[in-house]
Amino acid sequence: MIQQPEIVISNLPERRLSPTAQKSGHIAAMVLEQMKAEVSSYWRVPEFLVGTVIIPVLLFLMFGASVGGVLPQGTSVKALMMASFAAYGVVNLAIFTFGGDIAAERGQGWLRLMRATPIPPWVYLIGKFALVTLFGTAILLVVFVAGLLSGVRLGLEVWAKAFFTLLLGSLSFSTLGFALGFLARPRAASTIANLVFLPLSFVSGFFFPLNQLPQFVQHLAPYLPTYHFGQLVWSSIGTASDVARFTAQPTGDALGHVLWLLGGFMLFGVLAVYGYQRDRGQEMR
Amino acid sequence: MKVIELHNVSKRYGEVQALSDVSLSVEPGEVMAFLGPNGAGKTTAIGIMLGLKTPSGGTVRLFGQNPESPQVRGRVGVMLQESGVPESLTTEELVRLFGCYYPYTLPVEEVLRRADLLEKRRAFVRQLSGGQRQRLYFALSIVGDPDLIFLDEPTVAMDVEARRAFWEQVRGFAALGKTILFSTHYLEEVDSIASRVVVLHQGQVLKSGTPAEIKSLVAAKTVRLKTELSVTAASQYPGVERAERENGHLVVYSNTPEVFLERLFREGHAVADLTVKDTDLEAAFVRLTA
Repeated sequence: MIQQPEIVISNLPERRLSPTAQKSGHIAAMVLEQMKAEVSSYWRVPEFLVGTVIIPVLLFLMFGASVGGVLPQGTSVKALMMASFAAYGVVNLAIFTFGGDIAAERGQGWLRLMRATPIPPWVYLIGKFALVTLFGTAILLVVFVAGLLSGVRLGLEVWAKAFFTLLLGSLSFSTLGFALGFLARPRAASTIANLVFLPLSFVSGFFFPLNQLPQFVQHLAPYLPTYHFGQLVWSSIGTASDVARFTAQPTGDALGHVLWLLGGFMLFGVLAVYGYQRDRGQEMR
Repeated sequence: MKVIELHNVSKRYGEVQALSDVSLSVEPGEVMAFLGPNGAGKTTAIGIMLGLKTPSGGTVRLFGQNPESPQVRGRVGVMLQESGVPESLTTEELVRLFGCYYPYTLPVEEVLRRADLLEKRRAFVRQLSGGQRQRLYFALSIVGDPDLIFLDEPTVAMDVEARRAFWEQVRGFAALGKTILFSTHYLEEVDSIASRVVVLHQGQVLKSGTPAEIKSLVAAKTVRLKTELSVTAASQYPGVERAERENGHLVVYSNTPEVFLERLFREGHAVADLTVKDTDLEAAFVRLTA
């Protein structure tokens, strides 16, 4: 049997506009305003600034800035440590912004209110991406400046390569955040994010070089997407053989690490979509 | 064309039947009130009309279409119970942001004036009092110049004076020819603004009529006192809808208790232990269904 497509005639009645009504709702303006609102609303929360921007640089100053030494092919250990703490900072930002904040806004009912408006859900997500990009840039600049001041010297193109590797790579953890934001209970999300991300950072060698960690940690690391992110970041600064010494692992192919990140992105993406639909289903029930 | 049409809508939450067989239609320009005690199904019904909840049975149409369609959402404004908004934005920023979401918008200045928030335009949301917050939600509900707005128990955190002022603002917006559906459990609120009242009780439409018709069924005030006046005599007094005796007290239901009391005192009846209270709707509806 051939199914007839249902013909929907849009016969909404005339609008009853107020005399002062103005045309609005251009998608570009919507996106721009949403991004502006996200950024200015978080910029004004000092705790958020401290937690995301200040803590990574503090950790670097405490544990990385005084580390000396140069690896055989000339890579500075301090530069690699700086990259580690920068990597910690931007992934932390992505997980907490996409995870913790979405969970909180879901809990408050802000998402429910938005759902009752004509705004497409992706505009909301673009706002979050803008926030992560801007604050991620801030984190990197602050950590890089601290690196520079404590004696890290790199070529301009190396700084740039490290910067973009860090920023783009961190966005691949957005879906992990989304999954957390929609699956965790709103009040628990931040705690869960910490429980997941602190061990992940440790085992991936963001806090201490992997060559200083116990062997079982070194064996575990290659199964974590954050470790592969770290590999890409360290390799943007040091030579393959130096990075291999630093991590006590063969450095491997960049493509392999990128595939790990993409795989993680997609796996958590599936979880995030599941979480989003489950949340929506619960609301609609 | 009807603005809202519900046909045999029902909603179950597990064992609980939140709505059963609710049918109603709302014409353009109507101001309709959902009146009922807590748990009557008002919020569920509004959620279904907004397309935020799926009904277990029946059909919902807004402007003849599915409430979830973007064209419908573009002409509907809403004030939900307990909707958080970003705390670190100012009132004005939030109103401007919300205006962008809709195909048409009212000037921010006008919205702030209509919601009486001009003085708070630069205040952060977290600095607003409960009543100001409710007015902000009202502002968000009208900024898209919607043809239809839903207000779910909008005055719940307000004192009497704030409530009066709030309904004044709603009336101003209704005067633009807008359709409004609000819910409340204050009987006196339906009187001041609604053109039609639907009484919901335990998920069903108990009564539907003009505010005057509903008020004759359920008087707004309950007067309780000790006196020698009989129930039969009291029933004949002006302004008395109904009288009964309960635990030795005379209980009088009235929309104008002052008229009744004035006469009572003038005639020199002995009066003791007098209280005047808003009628408990739950109790009133139980009596109506009995």
